[in-house]
Amino acid sequence: MAALGAWGTAVQRGRLWGAARALWGWRRPQRALGQDAGKKKDAKPSFTDEAVQNLLYKMTGLDLQKVFRPVKQELKPPKYKLLTEAQLEEATKKAIKEAKEKLTMPPVLDEREPIDDVLAEDKILDGIETTKYIFTDLTYSIPHRERFIVVREPNGVLRKATWEERDRMIQIFFPKEGRRVIPQAVFKDEHLVTVFQQDRHEDILNMCIAQFEPDSADYIRIHHRTYDDIEKHAKYDLLRSTRHFGGMVWYLVNRKKTDGLLIDMIHRDLLDDATSLITLYHMLHPECQSAKEAEERKLQGVDLIKVFAKTESQKEGYIQLALQAYEEAMATSTGS
Amino acid sequence: MVQLGSRLLKGYRGGHVVIRFALGGCTNRPFFRIVAAHSRRARDGKYLEQLGCLDPLPNARGEKVAGLNLERLRHWLGCGAQLSRPAEKLLGLAGFLPLHPMTVTGAERLRRRRRAQEAAVPPVAGGLQQPGEKP
Repeated sequence: MAALGAWGTAVQRGRLWGAARALWGWRRPQRALGQDAGKKKDAKPSFTDEAVQNLLYKMTGLDLQKVFRPVKQELKPPKYKLLTEAQLEEATKKAIKEAKEKLTMPPVLDEREPIDDVLAEDKILDGIETTKYIFTDLTYSIPHRERFIVVREPNGVLRKATWEERDRMIQIFFPKEGRRVIPQAVFKDEHLVTVFQQDRHEDILNMCIAQFEPDSADYIRIHHRTYDDIEKHAKYDLLRSTRHFGGMVWYLVNRKKTDGLLIDMIHRDLLDDATSLITLYHMLHPECQSAKEAEERKLQGVDLIKVFAKTESQKEGYIQLALQAYEEAMATSTGS
Repeated sequence: MVQLGSRLLKGYRGGHVVIRFALGGCTNRPFFRIVAAHSRRARDGKYLEQLGCLDPLPNARGEKVAGLNLERLRHWLGCGAQLSRPAEKLLGLAGFLPLHPMTVTGAERLRRRRRAQEAAVPPVAGGLQQPGEKP
């Protein structure tokens, strides 16, 4: 979609943090996820750590057919090229590199604090005007986060504009592609239900990234609703090999709802992904029993999953069943 | 091209740069552009630079939207541009300049007028009730 254009051009280092800084002009220090406000930052790994990012990226998968599936564009007749084996390999490598750029994960941030700053109070002007004035600073060279947007209320108070007012004014004067001044009705809760019934989770998430800032309340609410719906109906495959998969896994692991995802991975014979998921779980919750046992006995692969199933999961039975089915399938395939 | 020359390359005697409102828009739909222009030019004529805009009609949320390019405004003020009174009042409301004295005076006059109107209304109401009280 056109909205992906901004993301496609990002990032030499290929790291999420660089992308967030470049595109949103951010200068604040790294923030921890909202849930763990009480814990120290060094004790708890955050979304942007390299280790966490590597694990999430491995789990996302790289299905080229899905990444490069036809997006609604101008209709052009297909081009056929005759390539040698070496040229085909090179073309595949180039495609993989482009796919990696397309899979850069959008940032996961805390909800932004509401702005509540009064610059001046002029009681003389109370009741003179009937409407408020919004003044926007149109200086081209300052980043949008530092732009001055003030409101003169009818009661004479000169205050800084709220985040919603800021976003609207910036979109009016500096329009961004894919974003509207007034957000679409589809982002309301009652309409999200319809979207989920049509299995269009990825589309709504792409629209949400285009429309809202990553630390706005609406962005976080829509992402959480989408992830909850996917988890409820076990539709994990919809987001696999897209850039939203990492964010979903991070959300589920933080809330310890990983059982459905684990079962889905085992059913699809993605044992490596299952082990990465459990490793990530241990990184985020080091005090849980499964993490301690894994640390002591240095478990790998299927044993790790079994220990996790016994100690941490709610759906132990299902996981055991899935593992059994997998092992039988492995046995028959090696036997035959 | 020679015919256009005399109209575009107009030279004036005297005059100075002003920052003022240029009216645009359609019938019953005004729209102001805040503009740095020569004082002798037509109100809506050729200007030096556009520094912002003001929509005098409130939008769907009940706000009057104004944009001001403060960096360029500071530049022109530094070059010695004058401000028109409505421009000064707008910048006073915005907080860029201190509140204009005429804004304060206008507010006081309006308050005084309203108080006078409220004071005038009760005696009239008292007078009208008399026929009703005495049947």
